[in-house]
Amino acid sequence: MIIATTEELPGKRIQESFGLVRGNAVRARHLGKDIGAAIKGIVGGEITEYTKLMGEVREQALDRMCKEARARGANAVVALRFANTEIAAGAAEILAYGTAVRVEEE
Amino acid sequence: MSSTDERAPSGDHPRRDELLCMAYVDDELAADARVELERRMAGEPALTAQVSAYRKLEVLARQVAPDEPADHEWKRLEREGTQRAGLGVGWALFVGGALFFYGWLGLELATDDELDLVPKLAIAALVGGFTLLLGMTLRARLRNLPHDPYTEVKR
Repeated sequence: MIIATTEELPGKRIQESFGLVRGNAVRARHLGKDIGAAIKGIVGGEITEYTKLMGEVREQALDRMCKEARARGANAVVALRFANTEIAAGAAEILAYGTAVRVEEE
Repeated sequence: MSSTDERAPSGDHPRRDELLCMAYVDDELAADARVELERRMAGEPALTAQVSAYRKLEVLARQVAPDEPADHEWKRLEREGTQRAGLGVGWALFVGGALFFYGWLGLELATDDELDLVPKLAIAALVGGFTLLLGMTLRARLRNLPHDPYTEVKR
C-alpha cells in the first residue's frame, strides 16, 4: 500500500478513486508512565513516554485507514492528512484520512 | 503550457516535476524513472537547476537538524546503576505510601465512631467499586497486551 501526502504519485497514474478513507485511534499510557511524564515535565526535555504514545496511536490510525482502503480495492492512499484532538488528559487521538485510489505504472 | 504542467495540481501543491525532482534527490525513484529524468535534465536546464536547488536544501536540512543520540545511548543511560536505583527506590516509596494510605483509610473507616454506618458503607462501596473496576480493566488489558502490536512502536 503506497501512502502519500501528495495528490499525485510520480511515475504512476490514478486509475480509479474510491473516495475518503479514514482511521482513528485513541490510546493512553498507564498511570506509572503518566507520573513519570509529569515529573519529566518539571525538569524539561523529551517526554519519551508520550513520544511513544503518539507513535503508537499514529501507527494504529494509519493501519486502520489502510485496512479500509484495501477493503475498497485500493492499492494507494493519496492526499494523506493527520488530525488530532485532545479527548482526555494523558490520552492521544489521531485521525488519519486520505483518498483511496488504485494506481498503475505510467 | 507543457503536458506535465497540464497535469499539475493547482494552488500551493508541488508540481509533478517538482515531486519528481524531490524523489530523485531522495533516491526514491525507480531505475527507469531515474534514467528518464536524467535524460530530460540533459535537455532542460530548468529541471537541472531544480534538482540542484533541492540538493542544496537537503544538505542545509541535514546541517540544521541536530544529531539525536542513538537508541543504544539512551539504553546505556537507563541501565546506569544510580539511575536505576534512584528510580526503583522512588517507585517503591511511592507505591508503598499509596498502599499504606489505602490501608489507613480502610482502618479509619472501620474504627471511626463519629461516622454513621450509612456513609461508611457508601464510602466503602465507592472505594471497593473503583478497586473492582480498576482490577477488571487491568485484567482485560493484561490479557489483551500480547495481542497489541502497537506496544512495539518506539516513537
